[in-house]
Amino acid sequence: MLLDFGKLGSWKWILIAICTLTALFLLLPIVFIIALSFGSSRWLAFPPPGWTLRWYEELFADPRWIQSALTSAKIAIIVTILSVALGLLASFALVRGRFRGRAVLRAFFLTPMVLPVVILAVALYAGFLRLGINGTLTGFVIAHLIVALPFSIINISAALETFDPAIEDAAVLCGASPWEARYRVTLPAISHGLFSAAIFSFLISWDEVVLAIFMASPTLQTLPVRVWTTLRQDLTPVIAAVSTLFVVLTIVLMVATALIRKGTSK
Amino acid sequence: MVTIATTQRRRRSGLGMAMPAILLLLAFFVVPVVMLLTRSVTDPEPGLHNYAALLGSPTYGRIFFNTFFVSGLVTLITALIAFPIAWALAIMPRLPAGILFAVILLSMWTNLLTRTYAWMVMLQQTGIINRMLQSIGLIDTPIQLTNNLIGVTIGMVYIMLPFMILPLYGVIRKIDPAILQAAALCGASRMQALVRVLLPLAAPGIASGGLMVFVMSLGYYVTPSLLGGTANMMLAEFIVQQVQSLLNWGMGGAAAFVLLVVTLALYALQLRLFEPRETR
Amino acid sequence: MTTPYLHIDGIRKVYGEVVATDHVELTIGESEFLTFLGPSGSGKSTTLYILAGFQDPTAGDIRLRGQSILRIPSHKRQIGMVFQRYTLFPHLSVGENVAFPLRVRRMGRAEIEEKVRNALALVRLSGFEDRMPSAMSGGQQQRVALARALVYDPPVLLMDEPLSALDKKLREEIQLEIRRIHQETGVTILYVTHDQDEALRLSDRIAVFNRGRIEQVGTGAELYAGPATRFVADFIGDSAFLAGRLATVSGNRASLRFPDGTVATDVPVHGGGTVDQEAELMLRPERIELTREPGPEGTTLPVTVQDITFLGNNTTVVLRTGWQQELSARLSFGHPLVGGIGRGDNLHIRWQPDVAQAFATP
Repeated sequence: MLLDFGKLGSWKWILIAICTLTALFLLLPIVFIIALSFGSSRWLAFPPPGWTLRWYEELFADPRWIQSALTSAKIAIIVTILSVALGLLASFALVRGRFRGRAVLRAFFLTPMVLPVVILAVALYAGFLRLGINGTLTGFVIAHLIVALPFSIINISAALETFDPAIEDAAVLCGASPWEARYRVTLPAISHGLFSAAIFSFLISWDEVVLAIFMASPTLQTLPVRVWTTLRQDLTPVIAAVSTLFVVLTIVLMVATALIRKGTSK
Repeated sequence: MVTIATTQRRRRSGLGMAMPAILLLLAFFVVPVVMLLTRSVTDPEPGLHNYAALLGSPTYGRIFFNTFFVSGLVTLITALIAFPIAWALAIMPRLPAGILFAVILLSMWTNLLTRTYAWMVMLQQTGIINRMLQSIGLIDTPIQLTNNLIGVTIGMVYIMLPFMILPLYGVIRKIDPAILQAAALCGASRMQALVRVLLPLAAPGIASGGLMVFVMSLGYYVTPSLLGGTANMMLAEFIVQQVQSLLNWGMGGAAAFVLLVVTLALYALQLRLFEPRETR
Repeated sequence: MTTPYLHIDGIRKVYGEVVATDHVELTIGESEFLTFLGPSGSGKSTTLYILAGFQDPTAGDIRLRGQSILRIPSHKRQIGMVFQRYTLFPHLSVGENVAFPLRVRRMGRAEIEEKVRNALALVRLSGFEDRMPSAMSGGQQQRVALARALVYDPPVLLMDEPLSALDKKLREEIQLEIRRIHQETGVTILYVTHDQDEALRLSDRIAVFNRGRIEQVGTGAELYAGPATRFVADFIGDSAFLAGRLATVSGNRASLRFPDGTVATDVPVHGGGTVDQEAELMLRPERIELTREPGPEGTTLPVTVQDITFLGNNTTVVLRTGWQQELSARLSFGHPLVGGIGRGDNLHIRWQPDVAQAFATP
């Protein structure tokens, strides 16, 4: 009865009310920030006294914003490629491997996801200072790769686990060499896992701020670092404009993921 | 007659393929973290004085209290909101459930700074929340909502909500509706069925999601530092402050060690309680 | 002596302490349909995997037309295989699945198209080229898998319980298809199953596996009429086993004494035997005659009726011997005793001298 929506009676309306309020709670900040990014008030008054594209113009006129966006994109793309590649190899070992301690290894691979990122940030900061790669692209990529890899491994090994190795055997008997079978059969068959891993890795690196604060140098800053340092000084509407662009990117990636899921479930 | 040693040609151990990831994590995860923790007992001089200071002083005690209190409160509030949401998601018709899902995922995947920034703006003295509360007559003058733990709690609940809803939804969806039909036939009222059947069946999801939210909250840095301000510091901010501003690596390392131990202990508990045992 | 088409020569496979197969020795003729029949864990699948090259034997050899194939890696063996689970490539359409073996062999486009069309026609799935595997039933998927395994004209087709995931009706339908395809193509088939009906229905010859060894090889009729071991007698067809001791032994024939003192005389005995050794008399239920009067001495036993079940074309009567062992007999529809007997009746069974066999207990 409680698990039949039609038979909930008056409780149905209570649930609907809670859902609606929560949905509004979740949506409010996002809608609010999008509205403010077009509002003309320098002090973020709401409702805005008028509408303007001024904050976007300011954003695109400032080469430092563009520069940090490009830096972010560059780092995120490199991290995505490495994360999927390493994640694929590690997943093969975890799912197909026949060695002792696989469960321990799996838990080890996922630890960076559970460990507070602040600890990693501080630890890497100290290590990178010593190695002299603080404030370099390499430093950024390594730091982001560590936190992106667990998500890559989760997605790819989940896809690999539902893929029957007998299919690979069938390809081998059909005449494909073991590597050819993996390349032509296994990889395409788990492509949805690879795509998810790539999207997760990209978003994690693109959005990551804590590690980036420590890795950044005056000459090399990612977009979140710029947002962070700006935010600590004042709540300028330019941040609202940047935020709106972030939201748009998120929606695009979400739709892309949904389409991929739909495509593979057919 | 050909004799071949007993080798299984395919599926050799496979450990080699995990090597790049293992080496990466060893070099840039395990080693730096261990080095940081080592500094807690060597910096500025060998001994446990960092821990003595950290766990002995009321100033630092305040930080631990803030951290555990806010994390606990955030866990409690998210659990209270998430249960009805997850329940509704599990039984709602496809379309509204899909919309609600999209909203949850959108809020979850929107840039963290964007969400925190939005709350900073909304919770200002002149912000939309204060104005709403005034217009419905709940308060006369604007109240301070940022730079204190109220702001931190609101912002954290917002961020943690999806992490509670999703696991709970997974658990509730797997409950067989026939069990609740049986409860109704046994004479249980709706309230009795909720308290005595549905909630106990959903308890593993609540516990698992709750542990996750609590652990994540303990080490959260961005939202507490932007919405809480320096006066109401939490553990993660404290670590950053020690290392970045005061260059006190020993104290930073000690605080990091405490956070690490609590986190990993709870993670291990989570694994033990909620992961299916591996058969091999 | 001519070289056999396929020769499995003394294959032994050991995993650690466990012997999976031992001295598996078999020759298979070209175009033959041979089934490995046995319970799970009897070594039949291991033998098949060794043929496919997925596992290396600890000892022994496999020769195709006189050439050892053990050194050839799986993908160069040219062997075809249909698996127990559905193994179509999920991201490729039916046509692309069947074309896959030809693509990896770098065949020309026109040739591929023609071969794919023929292979799909063979399994009666013409026109399904563009379907995705996920949009097909299990039976259809296995037929595509069959087409994919046959499209490159393999010298041997291996089938590892390909129908075990299907329901009974569909299974019988596809069994007929497999027979037809075997006749049309003349491909040599090695088929693994634990289902004796399937083995009898499909194969030219059956190799019965037990505990890693082949117990007996022969046509279905040979195995049924002349099982070489108690295991084969038990596994193929229903049978009643009556436990007693050998009373006299002369050569391959013996007489058995049962606990109630009755004697069965002049039955062929398998597994050697000495006087007073434990042995069992095997009778097929449909060969057991049921009468009110005892038959000729040495081919008869007194029994009591325990239960009578009407099953349409026959009536099964559960009987109990004087030493409390149960066995069943089948009376065909219209048998004079049907309807005339009841529970507790004292009757006699008898058998023709040539249908009983004895197995000495080792």
